[in-house]
Amino acid sequence: MRYLIIALFTLQLFAVDASLKIEKDVEQRSRFSVVDMSGGSAGGLGDKFFNTMISDLKISGHFLPDETHHRESMQSDIVAPNLKSQEYVLKYSLSQAGGLSISVKLFRATDASLVATRDYAIPSAEKYPFLAHKVISDINTILQLPDISWINRYVIYSRYTGVRKSEIIIADYTMSYKKSVIRGGLNLFPKWADKEQSSFYYTSFGDALPTLYRINITNGSKSRITSSQGMLICSDVSSSGGKLLLTMAPDGQPDIYEMSAGGGSPSRVTNFAGIDVSGKYADGDRSVVFVSNRLGYPNIFKQSLGGGSVSQVVFHGRDNNAVDTFEDKVVYASKEGGGTFNLYLTNTGGSDTRPLTSSGSNQFPRFSVDGSTVLYIKQSTGSSSIGITNLGSNQTLLFPFGGKVQSIDW
Amino acid sequence: MTLKKLTILSAAAFLLLGGCAQKKPTPGDSSNISDSSSITGDTINIDESGGAAGGANGSADGMKSLYFGFGGYELSSDMTGTVAFNANAVRSKLQGGTKIKLEGNCDEFGTDEYNYALGLKRANAVKDGLIAEGISSSQITMVSLGESNPQCQEATDGCYAKNRRVDLRLAR
Repeated sequence: MRYLIIALFTLQLFAVDASLKIEKDVEQRSRFSVVDMSGGSAGGLGDKFFNTMISDLKISGHFLPDETHHRESMQSDIVAPNLKSQEYVLKYSLSQAGGLSISVKLFRATDASLVATRDYAIPSAEKYPFLAHKVISDINTILQLPDISWINRYVIYSRYTGVRKSEIIIADYTMSYKKSVIRGGLNLFPKWADKEQSSFYYTSFGDALPTLYRINITNGSKSRITSSQGMLICSDVSSSGGKLLLTMAPDGQPDIYEMSAGGGSPSRVTNFAGIDVSGKYADGDRSVVFVSNRLGYPNIFKQSLGGGSVSQVVFHGRDNNAVDTFEDKVVYASKEGGGTFNLYLTNTGGSDTRPLTSSGSNQFPRFSVDGSTVLYIKQSTGSSSIGITNLGSNQTLLFPFGGKVQSIDW
Repeated sequence: MTLKKLTILSAAAFLLLGGCAQKKPTPGDSSNISDSSSITGDTINIDESGGAAGGANGSADGMKSLYFGFGGYELSSDMTGTVAFNANAVRSKLQGGTKIKLEGNCDEFGTDEYNYALGLKRANAVKDGLIAEGISSSQITMVSLGESNPQCQEATDGCYAKNRRVDLRLAR
Protein backbone atom coordinates (compact mmCIF):
# COMPACT_ATOMS: atom_id res chain seq x y z
CA MET A 1 0.00 0.00 0.00
CA ARG A 2 2.84 2.32 0.93
CA TYR A 3 4.42 1.82 -2.49
CA LEU A 4 1.07 2.43 -4.18
CA ILE A 5 0.73 5.74 -2.38
CA ILE A 6 4.30 6.69 -3.29
CA ALA A 7 3.65 5.75 -6.91
CA LEU A 8 0.46 7.78 -7.04
CA PHE A 9 2.15 10.78 -5.48
CA THR A 10 5.06 10.39 -7.90
CA LEU A 11 2.71 10.38 -10.89
CA GLN A 12 0.85 13.42 -9.58
CA LEU A 13 3.65 15.52 -8.23
CA PHE A 14 6.95 14.61 -9.86
CA ALA A 15 6.54 17.13 -12.65
CA VAL A 16 6.31 19.98 -10.18
CA ASP A 17 8.36 18.73 -7.21
CA ALA A 18 11.46 16.66 -7.75
CA SER A 19 11.99 16.45 -3.98
CA LEU A 20 9.54 13.55 -3.73
CA LYS A 21 11.87 11.29 -5.72
CA ILE A 22 14.79 12.36 -3.57
CA GLU A 23 12.80 11.54 -0.40
CA LYS A 24 12.10 8.08 -1.80
CA ASP A 25 15.76 7.59 -2.64
CA VAL A 26 16.74 8.61 0.89
CA GLU A 27 14.64 5.73 2.25
CA GLN A 28 16.55 3.28 0.09
CA ARG A 29 20.03 4.38 1.17
CA SER A 30 21.85 2.71 4.05
CA ARG A 31 22.48 4.71 7.19
CA PHE A 32 26.23 4.69 7.74
CA SER A 33 28.52 5.93 10.51
CA VAL A 34 32.27 6.28 10.44
CA VAL A 35 34.33 5.95 13.62
CA ASP A 36 37.89 7.28 13.76
CA MET A 37 40.18 5.28 16.07
CA SER A 38 43.39 6.95 14.85
CA GLY A 39 44.12 9.01 17.95
CA GLY A 40 47.20 11.14 17.29
CA SER A 41 48.67 8.88 14.63
CA ALA A 42 46.75 10.53 11.78
CA GLY A 43 48.75 13.74 12.18
CA GLY A 44 47.00 16.68 10.55
CA LEU A 45 44.93 14.50 8.24
CA GLY A 46 42.24 13.47 10.74
CA ASP A 47 39.40 15.76 9.68
CA LYS A 48 40.39 15.89 5.99
CA PHE A 49 40.42 12.12 5.66
CA PHE A 50 37.13 11.73 7.49
CA ASN A 51 35.43 14.45 5.39
CA THR A 52 36.66 12.88 2.15
CA MET A 53 35.16 9.53 3.09
CA ILE A 54 31.86 11.21 4.00
CA SER A 55 31.81 12.95 0.58
CA ASP A 56 32.44 9.61 -1.13
CA LEU A 57 29.62 7.97 0.79
CA LYS A 58 27.25 10.80 -0.13
CA ILE A 59 28.03 10.94 -3.84
CA SER A 60 27.79 7.15 -4.17
CA GLY A 61 24.03 7.49 -3.86
CA HIS A 62 23.99 4.28 -1.81
CA PHE A 63 24.54 5.60 1.69
CA LEU A 64 23.09 8.16 4.06
CA PRO A 65 26.23 9.04 6.04
CA ASP A 66 26.18 10.33 9.59
CA GLU A 67 28.38 13.44 9.35
CA THR A 68 29.41 13.39 13.03
CA HIS A 69 33.14 12.72 13.34
CA HIS A 70 32.92 9.94 15.93
CA ARG A 71 36.21 9.26 17.69
CA GLU A 72 37.27 6.39 19.93
CA SER A 73 40.58 6.44 21.72
CA MET A 74 40.82 2.65 22.10
CA GLN A 75 40.92 0.08 19.30
CA SER A 76 37.83 -2.08 19.71
CA ASP A 77 35.28 -4.10 17.77
CA ILE A 78 32.42 -2.82 19.87
CA VAL A 79 29.71 -0.78 18.17
CA ALA A 80 28.65 1.99 20.53
CA PRO A 81 24.97 1.91 21.60
CA ASN A 82 24.31 5.33 20.04
CA LEU A 83 25.27 3.92 16.61
CA LYS A 84 22.97 0.89 16.74
CA SER A 85 20.35 2.79 14.72
CA GLN A 86 22.74 2.80 11.75
CA GLU A 87 22.89 -0.08 9.28
CA TYR A 88 26.67 -0.08 9.00
CA VAL A 89 29.55 1.28 11.05
CA LEU A 90 33.01 1.69 9.56
CA LYS A 91 35.83 1.86 12.12
CA TYR A 92 39.27 2.86 10.99
CA SER A 93 42.74 3.68 12.25
CA LEU A 94 44.90 5.97 10.11
CA SER A 95 48.64 6.33 10.63
CA GLN A 96 51.24 8.59 9.02
CA ALA A 97 54.17 6.56 10.32
CA GLY A 98 56.29 5.60 7.29
CA GLY A 99 53.90 6.82 4.62
CA LEU A 100 50.17 6.49 5.10
CA SER A 101 48.44 3.34 6.24
CA ILE A 102 44.96 2.51 7.34
CA SER A 103 43.16 -0.45 8.84
CA VAL A 104 39.39 -0.53 8.41
CA LYS A 105 36.67 -2.77 9.77
CA LEU A 106 33.09 -2.74 8.58
CA PHE A 107 30.41 -3.82 11.02
CA ARG A 108 26.71 -4.41 10.68
CA ALA A 109 25.50 -2.04 13.37
CA THR A 110 22.55 -3.92 14.83
CA ASP A 111 24.49 -6.98 16.01
CA ALA A 112 28.08 -5.66 15.70
CA SER A 113 28.90 -8.52 13.32
CA LEU A 114 32.08 -8.02 11.35
CA VAL A 115 31.40 -7.77 7.62
CA ALA A 116 34.91 -7.05 6.34
CA THR A 117 38.41 -5.93 7.25
CA ARG A 118 40.89 -4.22 4.95
CA ASP A 119 44.43 -2.90 5.36
CA TYR A 120 45.99 -0.38 3.01
CA ALA A 121 49.34 1.41 2.77
CA ILE A 122 50.74 3.99 0.37
CA PRO A 123 54.14 5.72 0.47
CA SER A 124 52.91 9.30 0.09
CA ALA A 125 50.54 10.97 2.55
CA GLU A 126 49.71 13.70 0.04
CA LYS A 127 47.67 11.15 -1.89
CA TYR A 128 45.36 10.62 1.09
CA PRO A 129 42.18 11.48 -0.93
CA PHE A 130 42.82 8.49 -3.21
CA LEU A 131 43.24 6.26 -0.16
CA ALA A 132 39.88 7.46 1.21
CA HIS A 133 38.24 6.93 -2.18
CA LYS A 134 39.71 3.44 -2.42
CA VAL A 135 38.37 2.48 1.02
CA ILE A 136 34.83 3.62 0.23
CA SER A 137 34.92 2.12 -3.26
CA ASP A 138 35.94 -1.23 -1.77
CA ILE A 139 33.27 -1.04 0.94
CA ASN A 140 30.71 -0.37 -1.77
CA THR A 141 31.95 -3.43 -3.68
CA ILE A 142 31.91 -5.62 -0.57
CA LEU A 143 28.25 -4.72 -0.06
CA GLN A 144 27.60 -5.67 -3.70
CA LEU A 145 26.23 -2.26 -4.59
CA PRO A 146 26.45 -0.78 -8.11
CA ASP A 147 30.02 0.11 -8.99
CA ILE A 148 31.42 3.50 -7.93
CA SER A 149 35.05 2.90 -8.86
CA TRP A 150 34.97 6.17 -10.84
CA ILE A 151 35.76 7.92 -7.54
CA ASN A 152 39.28 6.42 -7.74
CA ARG A 153 40.09 8.06 -11.06
CA TYR A 154 42.32 11.02 -11.81
CA VAL A 155 40.85 14.26 -13.09
CA ILE A 156 43.17 16.09 -15.49
CA TYR A 157 42.81 19.75 -16.38
CA SER A 158 44.67 22.70 -17.81
CA ARG A 159 44.63 26.26 -16.49
CA TYR A 160 46.22 29.50 -17.55
CA THR A 161 49.01 30.82 -15.36
CA GLY A 162 49.71 33.99 -17.38
CA VAL A 163 49.60 35.37 -20.91
CA ARG A 164 50.42 32.40 -23.19
CA LYS A 165 51.34 30.30 -20.18
CA SER A 166 49.54 27.35 -18.68
CA GLU A 167 49.94 24.22 -16.62
CA ILE A 168 48.39 20.78 -16.74
CA ILE A 169 47.33 19.35 -13.40
CA ILE A 170 46.11 15.96 -12.23
CA ALA A 171 43.76 15.78 -9.26
CA ASP A 172 41.28 13.56 -7.51
CA TYR A 173 37.62 14.24 -8.20
CA THR A 174 37.25 16.43 -5.09
CA MET A 175 40.29 18.55 -6.07
CA SER A 176 41.74 17.88 -2.61
CA TYR A 177 44.83 16.36 -4.26
CA LYS A 178 46.38 18.43 -7.04
CA LYS A 179 49.72 18.02 -8.74
CA SER A 180 51.14 19.91 -11.69
CA VAL A 181 52.46 17.48 -14.30
CA ILE A 182 53.46 19.98 -17.02
CA ARG A 183 54.07 23.63 -16.17
CA GLY A 184 55.51 26.48 -18.16
CA GLY A 185 54.92 26.94 -21.88
CA LEU A 186 51.48 26.80 -23.40
CA ASN A 187 50.11 23.25 -23.20
CA LEU A 188 46.35 22.82 -23.34
CA PHE A 189 43.42 20.43 -23.88
CA PRO A 190 44.61 17.37 -21.89
CA LYS A 191 42.65 14.20 -22.70
CA TRP A 192 43.15 10.75 -21.18
CA ALA A 193 44.55 8.34 -23.75
CA ASP A 194 43.27 5.11 -22.18
CA LYS A 195 40.85 3.85 -19.58
CA GLU A 196 43.75 2.99 -17.29
CA GLN A 197 44.81 6.67 -17.28
CA SER A 198 48.43 5.77 -17.90
CA SER A 199 48.90 8.43 -20.63
CA PHE A 200 47.21 11.58 -21.86
CA TYR A 201 47.10 13.63 -25.05
CA TYR A 202 47.64 17.39 -25.05
CA THR A 203 48.22 20.22 -27.49
CA SER A 204 51.54 22.02 -27.31
CA PHE A 205 52.01 25.52 -28.72
CA GLY A 206 55.77 25.39 -28.22
CA ASP A 207 56.44 24.31 -31.80
CA ALA A 208 55.93 26.20 -35.06
CA LEU A 209 52.49 24.58 -35.44
CA PRO A 210 50.06 23.38 -32.75
CA THR A 211 51.21 19.82 -32.08
CA LEU A 212 49.46 16.89 -30.41
CA TYR A 213 51.55 14.79 -28.04
CA ARG A 214 50.85 11.72 -25.93
CA ILE A 215 52.77 11.41 -22.67
CA ASN A 216 52.98 8.68 -20.04
CA ILE A 217 52.27 10.10 -16.56
CA THR A 218 54.65 7.82 -14.71
CA ASN A 219 57.73 7.45 -16.92
CA GLY A 220 57.39 10.63 -18.99
CA SER A 221 57.81 8.91 -22.35
CA LYS A 222 56.42 11.26 -24.96
CA SER A 223 55.42 10.77 -28.59
CA ARG A 224 54.36 13.26 -31.24
CA ILE A 225 51.03 12.34 -32.85
CA THR A 226 50.45 15.04 -35.48
CA SER A 227 50.52 18.80 -36.16
CA SER A 228 48.13 21.20 -37.85
CA GLN A 229 48.08 24.80 -38.89
CA GLY A 230 45.58 26.95 -37.00
CA MET A 231 44.35 24.63 -34.27
CA LEU A 232 44.60 21.03 -33.17
CA ILE A 233 42.73 19.41 -30.30
CA CYS A 234 42.16 15.80 -29.29
CA SER A 235 38.44 15.94 -28.51
CA ASP A 236 37.80 12.28 -27.78
CA VAL A 237 39.35 8.82 -27.68
CA SER A 238 37.43 5.72 -28.79
CA SER A 239 36.42 3.05 -26.28
CA SER A 240 39.34 0.85 -27.30
CA GLY A 241 41.79 3.76 -27.25
CA GLY A 242 42.70 3.01 -30.87
CA LYS A 243 41.02 5.98 -32.58
CA LEU A 244 41.01 9.72 -31.94
CA LEU A 245 38.56 12.45 -32.83
CA LEU A 246 40.46 15.66 -33.54
CA THR A 247 39.39 19.22 -34.19
CA MET A 248 41.94 20.49 -36.67
CA ALA A 249 42.30 22.92 -39.54
CA PRO A 250 44.96 21.88 -42.07
CA ASP A 251 43.51 24.37 -44.56
CA GLY A 252 42.39 26.95 -42.01
CA GLN A 253 38.89 25.53 -41.62
CA PRO A 254 38.05 23.99 -38.20
CA ASP A 255 36.45 20.60 -38.81
CA ILE A 256 36.35 17.21 -37.13
CA TYR A 257 38.75 14.48 -38.22
CA GLU A 258 39.34 10.91 -37.12
CA MET A 259 42.74 9.24 -37.00
CA SER A 260 44.39 6.15 -35.61
CA ALA A 261 46.10 6.63 -32.25
CA GLY A 262 49.07 4.83 -33.77
CA GLY A 263 49.54 7.47 -36.46
CA GLY A 264 48.66 7.83 -40.13
CA SER A 265 46.67 10.44 -41.99
CA PRO A 266 43.56 11.91 -40.36
CA SER A 267 40.34 11.41 -42.29
CA ARG A 268 37.83 14.24 -42.46
CA VAL A 269 34.49 13.57 -40.71
CA THR A 270 32.71 16.93 -41.07
CA ASN A 271 32.99 19.49 -43.86
CA PHE A 272 31.35 22.81 -43.10
CA ALA A 273 32.37 26.38 -43.87
CA GLY A 274 31.61 27.56 -40.32
CA ILE A 275 32.73 25.99 -37.02
CA ASP A 276 32.61 22.25 -36.17
CA VAL A 277 34.35 21.33 -32.91
CA SER A 278 34.24 19.01 -29.87
CA GLY A 279 33.61 15.72 -31.66
CA LYS A 280 32.59 12.95 -29.22
CA TYR A 281 32.11 9.28 -29.99
CA ALA A 282 28.52 8.05 -29.44
CA ASP A 283 26.25 5.08 -30.14
CA GLY A 284 28.99 2.48 -29.71
CA ASP A 285 31.58 4.64 -31.47
CA ARG A 286 29.52 4.48 -34.66
CA SER A 287 28.62 8.17 -34.72
CA VAL A 288 30.01 11.53 -33.66
CA VAL A 289 28.16 14.16 -31.64
CA PHE A 290 29.66 17.63 -32.02
CA VAL A 291 29.18 21.40 -31.66
CA SER A 292 28.53 23.38 -34.83
CA ASN A 293 27.30 26.86 -35.70
CA ARG A 294 25.65 25.65 -38.93
CA LEU A 295 22.31 27.16 -37.83
CA GLY A 296 23.98 30.49 -37.09
CA TYR A 297 24.57 29.77 -33.39
CA PRO A 298 26.43 27.00 -31.52
CA ASN A 299 24.33 23.87 -31.17
CA ILE A 300 24.66 20.08 -30.87
CA PHE A 301 24.57 17.82 -33.94
CA LYS A 302 25.29 14.21 -34.85
CA GLN A 303 26.79 12.47 -37.86
CA SER A 304 27.39 8.81 -38.57
CA LEU A 305 31.05 7.87 -38.95
CA GLY A 306 30.00 5.81 -41.95
CA GLY A 307 28.90 8.96 -43.74
CA GLY A 308 25.39 10.32 -44.23
CA SER A 309 23.69 13.54 -43.33
CA VAL A 310 24.10 15.65 -40.23
CA SER A 311 21.16 15.62 -37.80
CA GLN A 312 20.30 18.10 -35.08
CA VAL A 313 20.35 16.61 -31.58
CA VAL A 314 19.29 19.56 -29.42
CA PHE A 315 16.21 21.66 -30.18
CA HIS A 316 16.47 23.95 -27.19
CA GLY A 317 18.56 27.06 -26.44
CA ARG A 318 20.44 29.47 -28.70
CA ASP A 319 23.99 28.95 -27.48
CA ASN A 320 24.90 25.33 -26.73
CA ASN A 321 28.67 25.29 -27.09
CA ALA A 322 29.96 22.37 -25.01
CA VAL A 323 29.04 18.68 -25.12
CA ASP A 324 30.03 15.25 -23.89
CA THR A 325 28.68 11.77 -24.56
CA PHE A 326 28.47 8.34 -23.00
CA GLU A 327 27.04 5.67 -25.32
CA ASP A 328 23.71 7.27 -26.33
CA LYS A 329 23.64 9.79 -23.48
CA VAL A 330 24.46 13.44 -24.24
CA VAL A 331 25.20 16.21 -21.75
CA TYR A 332 25.51 19.79 -22.97
CA ALA A 333 25.91 23.34 -21.65
CA SER A 334 23.36 25.95 -22.70
CA LYS A 335 23.76 29.71 -22.25
CA GLU A 336 20.58 31.15 -20.80
CA GLY A 337 21.25 34.89 -20.40
CA GLY A 338 22.85 36.99 -17.71
CA GLY A 339 25.99 34.87 -17.67
CA THR A 340 24.00 31.77 -16.73
CA PHE A 341 24.99 28.43 -18.25
CA ASN A 342 22.97 25.35 -17.35
CA LEU A 343 23.62 21.70 -18.08
CA TYR A 344 21.09 19.40 -19.72
CA LEU A 345 21.00 15.64 -20.18
CA THR A 346 19.48 14.18 -23.32
CA ASN A 347 20.24 11.33 -25.73
CA THR A 348 21.51 11.08 -29.27
CA GLY A 349 17.92 10.89 -30.48
CA GLY A 350 17.21 14.23 -28.79
CA SER A 351 14.60 12.83 -26.39
CA ASP A 352 14.26 12.54 -22.59
CA THR A 353 15.89 15.94 -22.08
CA ARG A 354 16.14 17.12 -18.47
CA PRO A 355 18.09 19.86 -16.69
CA LEU A 356 20.96 18.94 -14.38
CA THR A 357 21.58 22.45 -13.01
CA SER A 358 19.27 25.40 -12.49
CA SER A 359 21.45 28.40 -11.66
CA GLY A 360 24.94 29.87 -12.01
CA SER A 361 27.57 29.33 -14.68
CA ASN A 362 27.96 25.58 -15.20
CA GLN A 363 30.34 24.50 -17.95
CA PHE A 364 32.75 21.77 -19.12
CA PRO A 365 30.36 18.83 -18.59
CA ARG A 366 32.15 15.46 -18.61
CA PHE A 367 30.68 11.99 -18.04
CA SER A 368 32.44 9.59 -15.69
CA VAL A 369 34.00 6.53 -17.30
CA ASP A 370 30.86 4.49 -16.55
CA GLY A 371 28.40 7.23 -17.51
CA SER A 372 26.79 7.22 -14.05
CA THR A 373 28.00 10.67 -13.03
CA VAL A 374 28.65 14.05 -14.61
CA LEU A 375 31.51 16.32 -13.59
CA TYR A 376 31.36 20.04 -14.37
CA ILE A 377 32.84 23.38 -13.40
CA LYS A 378 30.69 25.97 -11.66
CA GLN A 379 32.24 29.42 -12.03
CA SER A 380 31.36 32.31 -9.78
CA THR A 381 33.00 35.68 -9.23
CA GLY A 382 36.60 35.07 -8.27
CA SER A 383 36.23 31.36 -7.54
CA SER A 384 35.37 28.01 -9.09
CA SER A 385 33.95 24.75 -7.83
CA ILE A 386 34.00 21.31 -9.32
CA GLY A 387 30.50 19.85 -9.35
CA ILE A 388 29.69 16.14 -9.33
CA THR A 389 26.15 14.99 -10.09
CA ASN A 390 25.13 11.36 -9.68
CA LEU A 391 22.59 10.83 -12.45
CA GLY A 392 20.95 7.92 -10.64
CA SER A 393 20.42 9.48 -7.24
CA ASN A 394 20.37 13.16 -8.33
CA GLN A 395 22.95 13.83 -5.60
CA THR A 396 25.23 16.80 -6.33
CA LEU A 397 28.33 17.84 -4.44
CA LEU A 398 30.42 20.98 -5.03
CA PHE A 399 34.09 21.21 -4.09
CA PRO A 400 35.63 24.72 -4.21
CA PHE A 401 39.05 25.16 -5.78
CA GLY A 402 41.14 28.09 -6.95
CA GLY A 403 41.78 29.16 -10.52
CA LYS A 404 39.90 28.99 -13.78
CA VAL A 405 39.83 25.80 -15.84
CA GLN A 406 40.74 25.90 -19.54
CA SER A 407 39.82 22.29 -20.32
CA ILE A 408 39.15 19.19 -18.22
CA ASP A 409 38.86 15.41 -18.54
CA TRP A 410 38.49 12.44 -16.18
CA MET B 1 20.64 -17.74 -0.24
CA THR B 2 19.23 -15.22 2.21
CA LEU B 3 21.00 -11.96 2.82
CA LYS B 4 21.58 -12.98 6.44
CA LYS B 5 23.32 -16.23 5.42
CA LEU B 6 25.35 -14.38 2.85
CA THR B 7 26.45 -11.87 5.46
CA ILE B 8 27.45 -14.58 7.91
CA LEU B 9 29.42 -16.43 5.25
CA SER B 10 31.09 -13.17 4.15
CA ALA B 11 32.00 -12.34 7.70
CA ALA B 12 33.43 -15.82 8.25
CA ALA B 13 35.44 -15.61 5.04
CA PHE B 14 36.87 -12.23 5.96
CA LEU B 15 37.70 -13.35 9.47
CA LEU B 16 39.61 -16.32 8.04
CA LEU B 17 41.39 -14.19 5.46
CA GLY B 18 41.84 -11.38 7.95
CA GLY B 19 43.74 -13.47 10.41
CA CYS B 20 46.97 -12.01 9.14
CA ALA B 21 45.57 -8.48 9.04
CA GLN B 22 46.53 -7.66 12.60
CA LYS B 23 50.05 -6.54 11.76
CA LYS B 24 50.54 -2.97 10.71
CA PRO B 25 50.48 -2.52 6.91
CA THR B 26 53.49 -0.98 5.28
CA PRO B 27 53.95 0.42 1.79
CA GLY B 28 54.89 -2.25 -0.71
CA ASP B 29 54.04 -5.05 1.71
CA SER B 30 52.73 -7.85 -0.47
CA SER B 31 50.72 -9.28 2.40
CA ASN B 32 48.34 -6.31 2.37
CA ILE B 33 44.85 -7.55 1.69
CA SER B 34 44.00 -4.48 -0.35
CA ASP B 35 45.50 -3.69 -3.70
CA SER B 36 46.42 -0.05 -3.23
CA SER B 37 49.15 -0.18 -5.88
CA SER B 38 46.98 1.86 -8.25
CA ILE B 39 47.45 4.93 -6.06
CA THR B 40 51.09 4.56 -5.16
CA GLY B 41 52.82 5.50 -8.41
CA ASP B 42 54.53 8.85 -8.60
CA THR B 43 53.73 11.03 -11.59
CA ILE B 44 55.80 13.24 -13.87
CA ASN B 45 56.61 16.85 -13.11
CA ILE B 46 57.84 18.60 -16.26
CA ASP B 47 58.89 22.24 -16.36
CA GLU B 48 58.81 23.86 -19.80
CA SER B 49 59.28 27.43 -18.58
CA GLY B 50 62.36 27.83 -20.76
CA GLY B 51 60.56 26.66 -23.89
CA ALA B 52 59.65 28.52 -27.05
CA ALA B 53 56.08 29.39 -26.07
CA GLY B 54 55.19 32.85 -24.85
CA GLY B 55 56.22 35.92 -26.81
CA ALA B 56 54.75 39.38 -27.17
CA ASN B 57 51.11 39.95 -27.90
CA GLY B 58 49.88 42.57 -30.32
CA SER B 59 50.99 43.14 -33.91
CA ALA B 60 54.55 43.87 -35.05
CA ASP B 61 56.67 44.70 -38.11
CA GLY B 62 54.60 47.77 -38.98
CA MET B 63 51.25 45.95 -39.15
CA LYS B 64 48.08 46.74 -37.20
CA SER B 65 45.72 44.37 -35.33
CA LEU B 66 42.13 43.92 -36.46
CA TYR B 67 39.29 43.89 -33.92
CA PHE B 68 36.04 41.90 -34.13
CA GLY B 69 32.58 42.08 -32.53
CA PHE B 70 31.33 39.65 -29.89
CA GLY B 71 31.15 36.15 -31.37
CA GLY B 72 31.89 37.50 -34.87
CA TYR B 73 34.49 36.50 -37.44
CA GLU B 74 33.50 38.46 -40.57
CA LEU B 75 35.63 41.30 -41.94
CA SER B 76 33.56 44.48 -41.94
CA SER B 77 33.98 47.07 -44.70
CA ASP B 78 35.92 49.41 -42.40
CA MET B 79 38.43 46.61 -41.68
CA THR B 80 39.42 46.11 -45.32
CA GLY B 81 41.44 49.34 -45.23
CA THR B 82 43.51 47.99 -42.35
CA VAL B 83 44.05 44.72 -44.21
CA ALA B 84 45.28 46.64 -47.29
CA PHE B 85 47.55 48.75 -45.06
CA ASN B 86 49.06 45.59 -43.55
CA ALA B 87 49.60 43.96 -46.96
CA ASN B 88 51.43 47.03 -48.24
CA ALA B 89 53.51 47.30 -45.06
CA VAL B 90 55.20 43.94 -45.53
CA ARG B 91 54.72 43.01 -49.20
CA SER B 92 58.36 43.66 -50.07
CA LYS B 93 59.60 41.63 -47.07
CA LEU B 94 57.87 38.37 -47.98
CA GLN B 95 60.81 36.59 -49.52
CA GLY B 96 63.32 33.94 -48.48
CA GLY B 97 60.73 32.01 -46.50
CA THR B 98 59.43 34.97 -44.49
CA LYS B 99 55.67 34.73 -43.96
CA ILE B 100 52.90 36.74 -42.33
CA LYS B 101 51.84 34.98 -39.14
CA LEU B 102 48.23 35.58 -38.11
CA GLU B 103 47.32 34.98 -34.46
CA GLY B 104 43.58 34.73 -33.78
CA ASN B 105 42.45 35.76 -30.30
CA CYS B 106 39.21 35.76 -28.31
CA ASP B 107 37.74 37.24 -25.16
CA GLU B 108 37.28 35.00 -22.13
CA PHE B 109 33.67 34.09 -22.95
CA GLY B 110 32.79 30.87 -24.68
CA THR B 111 34.19 27.49 -23.84
CA ASP B 112 37.40 25.66 -24.64
CA GLU B 113 37.27 24.29 -28.19
CA TYR B 114 34.67 26.66 -29.62
CA ASN B 115 36.69 29.69 -28.54
CA TYR B 116 39.81 28.40 -30.29
CA ALA B 117 37.81 27.76 -33.47
CA LEU B 118 36.43 31.30 -33.25
CA GLY B 119 39.97 32.71 -33.04
CA LEU B 120 40.95 30.65 -36.06
CA LYS B 121 37.95 31.83 -38.10
CA ARG B 122 39.00 35.43 -37.36
CA ALA B 123 42.54 34.69 -38.55
CA ASN B 124 41.10 32.97 -41.62
CA ALA B 125 38.99 36.04 -42.46
CA VAL B 126 42.11 38.22 -42.34
CA LYS B 127 43.95 35.67 -44.47
CA ASP B 128 41.21 35.90 -47.12
CA GLY B 129 41.52 39.69 -46.99
CA LEU B 130 45.29 39.56 -47.46
CA ILE B 131 44.89 37.16 -50.41
CA ALA B 132 42.46 39.65 -51.95
CA GLU B 133 45.24 42.24 -51.60
CA GLY B 134 47.58 40.06 -53.63
CA ILE B 135 49.43 38.17 -50.88
CA SER B 136 49.94 34.52 -51.74
CA SER B 137 48.25 31.92 -49.52
CA SER B 138 51.63 30.19 -49.19
CA GLN B 139 53.04 33.36 -47.60
CA ILE B 140 50.56 33.27 -44.71
CA THR B 141 50.50 31.03 -41.64
CA MET B 142 47.87 30.99 -38.90
CA VAL B 143 47.41 29.92 -35.29
CA SER B 144 44.53 30.38 -32.90
CA LEU B 145 45.50 31.33 -29.37
CA GLY B 146 41.90 31.38 -28.13
CA GLU B 147 41.60 33.31 -24.88
CA SER B 148 45.20 32.55 -23.81
CA ASN B 149 46.70 35.79 -25.12
CA PRO B 150 44.72 38.76 -23.73
CA GLN B 151 45.92 42.34 -24.18
CA CYS B 152 43.68 43.45 -21.35
CA GLN B 153 42.50 41.57 -18.27
CA GLU B 154 39.94 43.89 -16.70
CA ALA B 155 36.28 42.85 -16.53
CA THR B 156 34.97 45.62 -18.81
CA ASP B 157 33.37 45.62 -22.25
CA GLY B 158 36.16 47.86 -23.56
CA CYS B 159 38.75 45.39 -22.33
CA TYR B 160 36.98 42.37 -23.77
CA ALA B 161 36.81 44.17 -27.16
CA LYS B 162 40.62 44.54 -27.19
CA ASN B 163 40.97 40.77 -26.86
CA ARG B 164 38.71 39.88 -29.84
CA ARG B 165 41.43 40.51 -32.39
CA VAL B 166 43.88 39.17 -34.93
CA ASP B 167 47.54 40.09 -34.48
CA LEU B 168 49.95 40.11 -37.42
CA ARG B 169 53.72 39.69 -37.41
CA LEU B 170 56.42 38.35 -39.67
CA ALA B 171 57.78 34.88 -39.05
CA ARG B 172 60.17 32.49 -40.75
